[in-house]
Amino acid sequence: MKHALFGAMVAAALAVPAFANDYMIMAPASPGGGWDSTARTMQEVMQAEGISSSVQVTNVPGAGGTVGLAQFVSSASGDPSQLIVGGYVMVGAILTNASPVSLADVTPIARLTGEAVAIVVPAASEIQDIKGLVDAMAADPGAVSWAGGSAGGVDHITVGLLAKAAGVDPTKINYVAFSGGGEATAAILGNQVTAGISGLGEFLPQVEAGTMRLLAVSSDARIEGVDAPTLKEAGYDVVVQNWRMVAAAPGLSDEQKAQVSADIEKLAKSAGWQKALADKGWADTYLAGADFEAQLAKEIEATTAVLKDIGLVQ
Amino acid sequence: MTPRGAEGRRPDGAAFVIGAALVALGALLVWEGGRIPNKQGYAGVGPGDVPWLVGWVLVLLGFGTVWEGWRNPAPPRPRQQAVPLVWLLGGMVVMVATIHWIGFVLGATILFTCAAAAFGERRFGLAVVSGLVLGFIIYGIFDVLLQLNLPAGPIEMLIFGR
Amino acid sequence: MDTFGFLMQGLATAFEPMMLLYALVGVVLGTAVGVLPGIGPALTVALLLPVTYGLDPAGSLIMFAGIYYGGMYGGSTTSILLNTPGESASVITALEGNKMARAGRGGPALATAAIGSFVAGLIATLLLAFLAPHVVKLALVFGPREYFALMVLAFVTVSAAFGESALKGLVSLFVGLALALVGIDQLTGQARLSFGVPQLLDGVEVTTLAVAMFALGEALFVAAQGPDHGAGVLAIKGRVRMTAQDWARSWKAWLRGTAIGFPIGSMPAGGADIASFLSYATERNMTRHPEEFGKGAIEGVAGPEAANNAAAAGTLVPLLTLGLPTTATAAIMLAGFQQFGLQPGPLLFASAPQLVWGLIASLLVANVMLLVLNLPLIRFWVLLLRIPQPWLYGGILVFATLGTLGVNPSVVELSMLVIFGTLGYIMRLYGYPIAPVVVGLILGPMAEQQLRRALAIAQGDPMTLVQSPIAAVLLGLALVALVVPMILRARGRGDALAQIGTAED
Repeated sequence: MKHALFGAMVAAALAVPAFANDYMIMAPASPGGGWDSTARTMQEVMQAEGISSSVQVTNVPGAGGTVGLAQFVSSASGDPSQLIVGGYVMVGAILTNASPVSLADVTPIARLTGEAVAIVVPAASEIQDIKGLVDAMAADPGAVSWAGGSAGGVDHITVGLLAKAAGVDPTKINYVAFSGGGEATAAILGNQVTAGISGLGEFLPQVEAGTMRLLAVSSDARIEGVDAPTLKEAGYDVVVQNWRMVAAAPGLSDEQKAQVSADIEKLAKSAGWQKALADKGWADTYLAGADFEAQLAKEIEATTAVLKDIGLVQ
Repeated sequence: MTPRGAEGRRPDGAAFVIGAALVALGALLVWEGGRIPNKQGYAGVGPGDVPWLVGWVLVLLGFGTVWEGWRNPAPPRPRQQAVPLVWLLGGMVVMVATIHWIGFVLGATILFTCAAAAFGERRFGLAVVSGLVLGFIIYGIFDVLLQLNLPAGPIEMLIFGR
Repeated sequence: MDTFGFLMQGLATAFEPMMLLYALVGVVLGTAVGVLPGIGPALTVALLLPVTYGLDPAGSLIMFAGIYYGGMYGGSTTSILLNTPGESASVITALEGNKMARAGRGGPALATAAIGSFVAGLIATLLLAFLAPHVVKLALVFGPREYFALMVLAFVTVSAAFGESALKGLVSLFVGLALALVGIDQLTGQARLSFGVPQLLDGVEVTTLAVAMFALGEALFVAAQGPDHGAGVLAIKGRVRMTAQDWARSWKAWLRGTAIGFPIGSMPAGGADIASFLSYATERNMTRHPEEFGKGAIEGVAGPEAANNAAAAGTLVPLLTLGLPTTATAAIMLAGFQQFGLQPGPLLFASAPQLVWGLIASLLVANVMLLVLNLPLIRFWVLLLRIPQPWLYGGILVFATLGTLGVNPSVVELSMLVIFGTLGYIMRLYGYPIAPVVVGLILGPMAEQQLRRALAIAQGDPMTLVQSPIAAVLLGLALVALVVPMILRARGRGDALAQIGTAED
């Protein structure tokens, strides 16, 4: 009896009435990571801006997001209230892990944020510009060691693309994968490697402090406030962005898809989201609809090609 | 590794089984190390080399274990009772198999009750109620307040509206 | 304003009554969540960070510091009392700590952990305040080959310190190394031993293995003795407080633990777990009571607990001086800083001194608060052991699975919990030590990756491993640690050897 009463009290105190546009966002990663914080920021803003009355975040970590993706495809099909966060890393992981499901199995809604990749050398390095680095790599690819994130990730792919664009055999690059969380940065600062490659945000504070020299960024155009050429400007046709997106379940009707897209657009345009982006230092790269789908298809194709060139995918 | 036991005593049977298991595990690693593409790159040590090495050491340790078991008699081991083990492992397995259907609270109740039973509790009603209370408290704190997202089932849907 | 001035200003703020209240709330919440096995400091901070959002920067910072230290400390309580290390850094604490608790000495074990954590936290935080820019220069000298040498040293010293039988210790260690190979190879992206199961691609989670082997394996083993047997757990025997002898044996261990923990924690690829392993090996070699090791030696709790707390403060060195989050916890802290629009980086000490010193002052206050809160609570904690066995183990099992359920409730992960629990039971039954499995799982991948990174950078030249003076010295120490016991044994001095704790069967 006491417990029934307890249950009822808990229910009264905590019950949340269900609304039509409730959302359940899956972050296919552990709590605390990039996708998780994207999902949780979406949750906060969607609730605060009144886009949705109740947003839940679930974490399904594993294998670059492909474990979560597989679960999402099988369990969320046809359910317009389910969303999944993902990103460029997933594109590579689907290929390298030979994942049975791919981004073609979900309904991509929009790209939300993104970050350019930056190439740096230690401040003490003799290499002064990106051309110097690429020339050194062309002369002896093994002697130029690159410190970056996980094998087959966006950093690795960028080095592969750069090698290819510069006419260097991509299988010959000496890419040293570090586990994230600053280990690569430490190796660069400690002069352990020739060059480093990672998200711009990770290197910028070091560059500003003068401990690293920024050689180039992988964005389409120069980035405001960043004193470095793009790879394109330097003559290497490489544009890479490490983006994060949100996708909906497969098997939605057009109306359902339009409703979800409208909610996400409201989110992306909201003051709360813009403030969150600014606070976290994320760039707004909102892109939706057919443009996003075309962009996604193009990137999947380019990534497949370069992963084959590096030898990570057969 | 110095032999100590008197000759002629019964060898330790368990050591043979453990040794065989180690050899099997080692063989699996050696096989895996040889099977995967050993992309050595500039390091000269590829992803297959360490499994190969660890595998061979395990094989050696397996033979060492058998050798030890042959030389030394079985040491005294505590008597084991099967019933509590069945309760405990059964409770775990049932919980793992069903938690995604029945939710955290009932899963925790099953686990708690089975564990209590394994340790000799016979007042099942009391154990079930305590398990439920514990489950509710944990779910309330971690899922509802701290957003940890524990598996939800019918009870959680009904009471917490998830 | 100079360093000292900023620190005083920070302390003045931190000692306002409202701030003390925030610190208290933070410490309580952090400890409460941190005690759960499988929920380490990183997840504790991640879960509780939103609690701090509504506060002003000073209040938020101080509550955050409380949560961080509380989460660090919480893990050791359950390790000692319930033998359920919920994170890699408290595995070692469980070894001696739980033996003490079972012998009715849970009070002194918890006290030496609490005071050791406090002493280490205090010294390390002060070192952080005054020496961080210098320490970080040393830490950066460590590249892959130096880390590899450090891992080798850790392997040699730690495996020498395990168990009565060298054969059994090695078997356990290599089982751990085998488990460590499961998943995607970091350097090439090649999947190993995953047999097409996607959930295995990320490998075996340390917390899953530790919780399964320690908590579940133990529960199975105790249950199988039958309900009438009784596990021989004594809630309290003698005093709950530390005796004069406990103090005498603890204080040096605290200091040594701090000396090991702080530098290793401040290395970008170091970590509190390695610090605790090395501290344990050191204590085991230096103790005057080698016979107590493995049966509940207080140094074996005092040293590693001090080491892991000092390492936790050490983690802040690269975070504050370089903006490098080197652990999951530090990465989440970055998110915490970002709510003030602050990007930790090399210029942080210069650009936002108030916040940096505010944080350091907060850490000092949180550290004191933790001690004030926990010392009196010890007598209540030990009463946990008086809960009737069926209920105690029922609760332990529910809490032990909670971490896995909350972080990754896949059937594969939960099945691993059951399988490793059974493995832990079998190993206990046949006298195989448990800790080396966890040590192998933690150190194995680090050693392998750092070796391959070092070789890749040197384009395959193995001489690179000894060409750095630091790496050469560390490898030399490892060699000495390996060879000296052998020579001693060859000279027929096995008895002396047994006494310094590297006993063999």
